[in-house]
Amino acid sequence: MNFITQAQLTEWLDGIAHQQTLIAPYKMADILLYQPVQSSLMIAWDSIRPVMSAKEFFFPPSERLLLIEKGAAGIKLTETLPKGRQVIFGARPCDAHGIKVLDALFLDKPPVDLYYASRRANTTIIGLACKEMGSSCFCTSVGGAPDDASNMDVMLYPAEGGYAVEAVTEKGRSLIPDSLYTIDNRQRPAFNFISNIVNPQSINWPAHFDDEYWARTSERCLSCRACAYVCPTCRCFSVRDEFLPVEADGCNPGCAQYERIRGWDSCEGENYRRTAGGHRPRAEKSQRLRNRYFCKFYFYPEQYGLGNASACTGCGRCVDICPVNVDITEVITDLAR
Amino acid sequence: MRTFDQGADGVLILGCHIGECHYETGNHRAAKRLPILKALMSYAGLEPERLRLDWVSASEGERFSRIANEFVETVRALGPIKWRVPSGEAAILTQQFAAIRGDVPLVEQSCAVKTDAIRAKARELLNNGVVGYVIGYEVGLRGRTRPSFANTPEEANKLVWNPDCTYNLTTYLGKKRRPAVKGIEQPKPVAVVVKPCDSRAINVLLAENQFTREQVYIIGVTCEGTQHDPGVLQARCQVCNERVPVVYDTLIGDPPPQHEAKPSPVVLKVAELEQKTPAERMEFWLSQFDRCIRCYACRQACPMCNCPVCLYERDDSLWIGMGINMNEKRAFHLGRAYHLAGRCVGCNECERACPMNIPISLLNMKMAQEIEAAFSFRAGLKPVPSPVVTVLSGEYKEG
Repeated sequence: MNFITQAQLTEWLDGIAHQQTLIAPYKMADILLYQPVQSSLMIAWDSIRPVMSAKEFFFPPSERLLLIEKGAAGIKLTETLPKGRQVIFGARPCDAHGIKVLDALFLDKPPVDLYYASRRANTTIIGLACKEMGSSCFCTSVGGAPDDASNMDVMLYPAEGGYAVEAVTEKGRSLIPDSLYTIDNRQRPAFNFISNIVNPQSINWPAHFDDEYWARTSERCLSCRACAYVCPTCRCFSVRDEFLPVEADGCNPGCAQYERIRGWDSCEGENYRRTAGGHRPRAEKSQRLRNRYFCKFYFYPEQYGLGNASACTGCGRCVDICPVNVDITEVITDLAR
Repeated sequence: MRTFDQGADGVLILGCHIGECHYETGNHRAAKRLPILKALMSYAGLEPERLRLDWVSASEGERFSRIANEFVETVRALGPIKWRVPSGEAAILTQQFAAIRGDVPLVEQSCAVKTDAIRAKARELLNNGVVGYVIGYEVGLRGRTRPSFANTPEEANKLVWNPDCTYNLTTYLGKKRRPAVKGIEQPKPVAVVVKPCDSRAINVLLAENQFTREQVYIIGVTCEGTQHDPGVLQARCQVCNERVPVVYDTLIGDPPPQHEAKPSPVVLKVAELEQKTPAERMEFWLSQFDRCIRCYACRQACPMCNCPVCLYERDDSLWIGMGINMNEKRAFHLGRAYHLAGRCVGCNECERACPMNIPISLLNMKMAQEIEAAFSFRAGLKPVPSPVVTVLSGEYKEG
């Protein structure tokens, strides 16, 4: 396997940062996030997985879908497809797995989401294998692995003095300059991980739909959306047209600007799927919390043909982030019992 | 606030002279609220001169034009405002903020004794059918302490007391987050375990008619501070010398000794920010709000955030859009801080719940200082509403 040193890697990344947007783990206010960085000096090396997943660089928290201008000449609609290439460095296998799950909805079947598709086409993912599993990680229980390269463009495996490099896709291959390679006969380091909870796909989920369990488990749930927003595969959104204050290079006097905006939403929120007239099909938080797990392990895999794979990547972010310790691994363990 | 968000360079609010308005009390309210709002906006980086409140009656044309001209001149001298952040502005990565942490080692707590007493009391209440359920603390599988609901005497045995009982459980007493009791037609009272700071939240909720005193059975626990990280007293607890809840039905534990009060790191940081220029404060706050993802964990953890539909989540986008961009994030945080003025008891659950380490306590502390300076009022010591929402002092009669 090919091998590069740490110095070669930083040089390569700095080169990338000059040409396109480089996104990498960055530490701010004591928390680790994927952020655009201007130089490899800003990268948090030796980091664990960031608090937020890399989902936001394909499916941003909010984005403009359309610019609507109303003037004397009538109504003008402008599409606002994202442009600009980006490279995500340090993506973890759970992040890349999450992008594959998002692809099933946004990309694999028509109608293709053009906004997602263009970001996907413009992005190259340089993955980084985890040296060990975190205390809340369970990727090995949902078909992933801390050294899984399958959804990356380039995969790096930490090794003595640098990284073993694997070009996974052609897009990844073209990002690596030939000069970077050091031919090396070392094998890539072997990883050995154990699965710590049962495979959630072994549970007969529909049989548990009416369980009293959901009411009890959701008692302490606060109905915030932190779990969904840190999740690499939660992809609910809401769309609305909003008035825009006219900005400097906006339209001429007498013209009004609006935007069609799409923003993250979550089944944990109290207003989830509220319809005209105020009806809320999932008014109780027990129904909403149940929906979160059914969506991950039953609804979404069924609807989007994930087969016997779940829509959860086992990253454990929701476990760490929940302000009241609602724990997905506990739910899986309880139901499997 | 919305006007500034939309790009106004200044906002001049004119009302009838006090005592002359045919809406009677609207201008009294404005007179109480505006200084608080102005302090908040200035704290967030607005030049305070851009917001002005004055009184002009319908017959005072000359006064109106003089004030309007004065204000226009003032704003013109300040130049164009830089409040609204243009869309697509790059993320601000400059000013960082180290989390506020305490370093006071805890006195050995009599946790086991308190745990036994809480369980015994909960069993008794559930056995006698006095309450529908008891809200307390339990330890989860990962060793994390978390809120717990005991519905039966047997379940009371999972309740615990330990130094990590940081959650303010009164948030589950509000109508929105109170779980229904299955199979019980007539809703029974709910028992809740409270620390001194939590007990003040109960007083605020009582004053705001969220429930009646009879609907809640309060298990007060004496407190010497909580710690989320072992051995580190939480920042809010470092300066707190409240040892006994201000309202309770039963008290568990002996009042522990007072510890030596240290200067609050939150108060020090507020003072430090006040020394900076408006532009520096704006930069500081934008760099903090930038991380916000609008997950609403802060709002959902807060006992006082109990509006049926949050003003910042309404369908009509009257006050804020649904975008997760800088202007919206700031409007939400400042709006929430303003709505909590005189109501926030400083339990700091919002900041603890925040996945992005946004220093929300710096906003709430500033508002608490303003309220204390203007009205000599601290939230929750008695069941009376915030002076910001009442009209005149002495207007509210207890009971």
